[in-house]
Amino acid sequence: MSLDTRARPHQARPRIHPNYPRRMRLADSLQILAVVSVALVVAVFLADGGAARISTPADAITALGIVTGLVGTDLLLVMMLLAARLPAIDRAFGHDSAMALHQSLGKPALYLILAHAVLLTIGYALVQPAGFFDEVWIMFSSLPDMPLAFLGLGLLIAVVVTSLVIVRHKFRYEVWHLVHLLSYVAVLVAIPHQLSVGTLFREGSLQRYYWLALYAGVAGSIILFRFIVPIVRSLRARLTVVGVDQEARGVVSIRLSGRQLRSLRAKSGQFFIWRFWTPGLWWQAHPFSLSAAPTGSSLRITVRGLGDASSTLPRVPVGTRVSFEGPYGLFTDFARTSPRIVLIAAGIGVAPIRSLLETATFAPGQATVLLRSSTVDDTYLVDELAALCRARGAELRIIAGKRAPGTSSWLPGDAVQARITLATLVPKLREADVYICGPRKWTDEVVRDARSAGLPTRQIHFERFDW
Amino acid sequence: MRARAVSLATLASLSVLAVGWQVGAQANASMQALSAPQAAPATIPAPSAGPATPTPAASAPAVSGPATTSAGSTTTVPTAAAPAPAAPAPAAPAPAARPTGTFTGSSVQTRFGPVQVSVTIANGTITEVTALQLTNDGGRSVAISAQAAPILRSEVLSAQSAKVSNVSGATYTTRGYLTSLQAALDTAGF
Amino acid sequence: MDAQTFETMGTVVSLRIGSTARGGAMRDGGLGDGGTRAVTEAAAPDAALAAVRTVFTRWDERFSLYRPDSEISRIARGDIRLTQASAELRDCYAIALDWRDRTDGVFTPHRADGVLDLSGVVKSLAIAEAGEALRGLGLSEWSVNAGGDLLVSGDQSPGQDWVAGIVDPASRHELLASVPLVAPVRAVATSGSAERGEHIWTSAGGGPSPYRQVSVIGLDIVTVDVLATTIIAGGEAALGRSIETFPIEVLAVLRDGSLVATAGLRSGQS
Repeated sequence: MSLDTRARPHQARPRIHPNYPRRMRLADSLQILAVVSVALVVAVFLADGGAARISTPADAITALGIVTGLVGTDLLLVMMLLAARLPAIDRAFGHDSAMALHQSLGKPALYLILAHAVLLTIGYALVQPAGFFDEVWIMFSSLPDMPLAFLGLGLLIAVVVTSLVIVRHKFRYEVWHLVHLLSYVAVLVAIPHQLSVGTLFREGSLQRYYWLALYAGVAGSIILFRFIVPIVRSLRARLTVVGVDQEARGVVSIRLSGRQLRSLRAKSGQFFIWRFWTPGLWWQAHPFSLSAAPTGSSLRITVRGLGDASSTLPRVPVGTRVSFEGPYGLFTDFARTSPRIVLIAAGIGVAPIRSLLETATFAPGQATVLLRSSTVDDTYLVDELAALCRARGAELRIIAGKRAPGTSSWLPGDAVQARITLATLVPKLREADVYICGPRKWTDEVVRDARSAGLPTRQIHFERFDW
Repeated sequence: MRARAVSLATLASLSVLAVGWQVGAQANASMQALSAPQAAPATIPAPSAGPATPTPAASAPAVSGPATTSAGSTTTVPTAAAPAPAAPAPAAPAPAARPTGTFTGSSVQTRFGPVQVSVTIANGTITEVTALQLTNDGGRSVAISAQAAPILRSEVLSAQSAKVSNVSGATYTTRGYLTSLQAALDTAGF
Repeated sequence: MDAQTFETMGTVVSLRIGSTARGGAMRDGGLGDGGTRAVTEAAAPDAALAAVRTVFTRWDERFSLYRPDSEISRIARGDIRLTQASAELRDCYAIALDWRDRTDGVFTPHRADGVLDLSGVVKSLAIAEAGEALRGLGLSEWSVNAGGDLLVSGDQSPGQDWVAGIVDPASRHELLASVPLVAPVRAVATSGSAERGEHIWTSAGGGPSPYRQVSVIGLDIVTVDVLATTIIAGGEAALGRSIETFPIEVLAVLRDGSLVATAGLRSGQS
């Protein structure tokens, strides 16, 4: 240690983990591809001479109607790819971020398709001439494949409306999901009219091949990664329940055993979507994180029995076959950018934290684990965490205490009063990756604290489970 | 998105759009070049409604003047967006012999997409209008004819009034016939 | 040339045989039977008149609502039912229904008072059949004008097309237009309220037609006759639709006397 007591510049740039640049390049490429795909469909319209032929207001409205249809459909295809569980997307953004983007694209896509329908009706009606509703009927009855297109629009509206946050929670998840799958039908059913009405995608044209190739690519990806890969993996792994351990009241760890699990390349902190093949549970699929590092033959999850379905989980019989989709998630060591690490968990969020602690990369003294709970007894897997921390040289702190009513801090009331923040709790926070897992609102608060401490977003990792 | 990704995406998108625009402009220009009048001695049998009989005007391939396209991409019909054919422009001076032949107009935008029409003229009268480039109206091709427009009495076709042998008007009764123009023609040996 | 006329269907039919068909010119070619042929040609006008007259009489007897003993009058009274009617009447009815579909219901054989009125197609079908009869006699230059509905074939005289005049409804001895009929354009029909005072049952809301007279020029007589009725009954919308769908030229006279026409009827059109 140097005897120089002058203030040292502690703005030393944190050493970036080598994975980070590669991951960000992938993320950049995917984002650029998505944006360029939109530009491409507009360019297809332009290349067909669409813009140069505009000479009256009706022409302009019709052209705009065509363009909104193209862009809206392209957005729908992007949305479907985001939900298709593509490995590249999971590696670059994490499945939960991809689904968050998917959700936010829903309304714009619908608005664009609605604009497409309305603008084209107006454009045609101006030319016919006919009233707006007369024109709707004329289009429905005289243009080819239009009834299907109308059906597609109707289904799309139904899907988006039922996905609005206010509406969604009125349904149980499985019902909502079934309705949501109608979006595949909506997209399929609209394809014929895109190919037969108007001349943009006329037979033999280059753009028709491109358009069909797009659809084929998206369809192929969905079929492969959303359906075939999970089925094949589940069949090969032959996972069964081998033990259920009580961790606390209503909280159990379920141990699973299978074969060739290394081929899954699962990492600590990732989650799977599980289906337990036993009466009462088989028709639901649950996302749960691994609560221990995966091995070649075993996996463990820790779940809390809440909600109608999960309450039966603690009683799942040993020997039950389990199928799964995954592994998914960027809540892993793969997302590291810095040498130090802070793991923060509340409630059942401790599960992925526990698995991360087992295999994350850090040197002794460079890791901090923070557990948040209302009371000291309200924590799960504490013994395991304590043992791991001792073994790996990480610091464990349990922050117990109730939140002060009326405030929205992630810390207990007395800590807030004492002006304690994440920065004061954790040494050298700026050189650390922070992993946060817990209830949504609480997680948002921790993120806010970390951001206000000056931590860049690339060093803050958290997983959303409300998709 | 990161700043780098944003700028790259913007750059790529703008270039893609520019290329698209360029290709489109070229495609339009070449389509206009193609639509110079082509005269044929006989009617091109059209796939649309109407029997395809060759016009009797096999005489002079009088291809003169009436170019159906002007420099612009629209035709003489006021609303280019309406399903209208490229009717030959009356601007060109009427040639001595009534023109005969088939003329291809420029492409106009209709609800079915861009339509290029071919107009067949025999002895100065339009006998057939055919859409050349009309796709997929359920496979049937739509015969597009001239729109009806207001016209002065002095502008109506009346050059051969001396040769009229039959007249058409609202149906006359037997009594009405006796004092009709047709009766005059019938008895006068026209 | 001489025109031969006869009364039928409450109006008068004028038949003309083109001068190329008469005068003994060799027309069949190759038979080397010049003498016999000339005799046959000279007799043709009488045979033609007889044939045409027969056709119209037959149609009149069956389909005229003005004859109390015609088949259609008996159906109107209820003496016989449509299902018991002759095949010819039912075929005619089917044709009328087909045109009802093609004109989106503007043209219809069902009168507002419920009576089945096939007069809209009967006259033109009769003209068409008369034309077939003339062709069957080997004649290819002729014109048949039944009360203002005209069907022609060939030339009026060598090198001269048949020219049809369109009557001015305001002054029945004056013409609005004279239109040369060049194959394949062969038929002219005019619908109007100037002469007989026929009641055209306007569709969609009733009210008088915006047109006082509508003349349609086209390729076959049934089409132009139906469309003339359709346009006058259906107004501007029917005019646009008809022009869009069928290869026709139209000259329409509005109530105020002004004219509307398709481009092919414009003079100086090149």
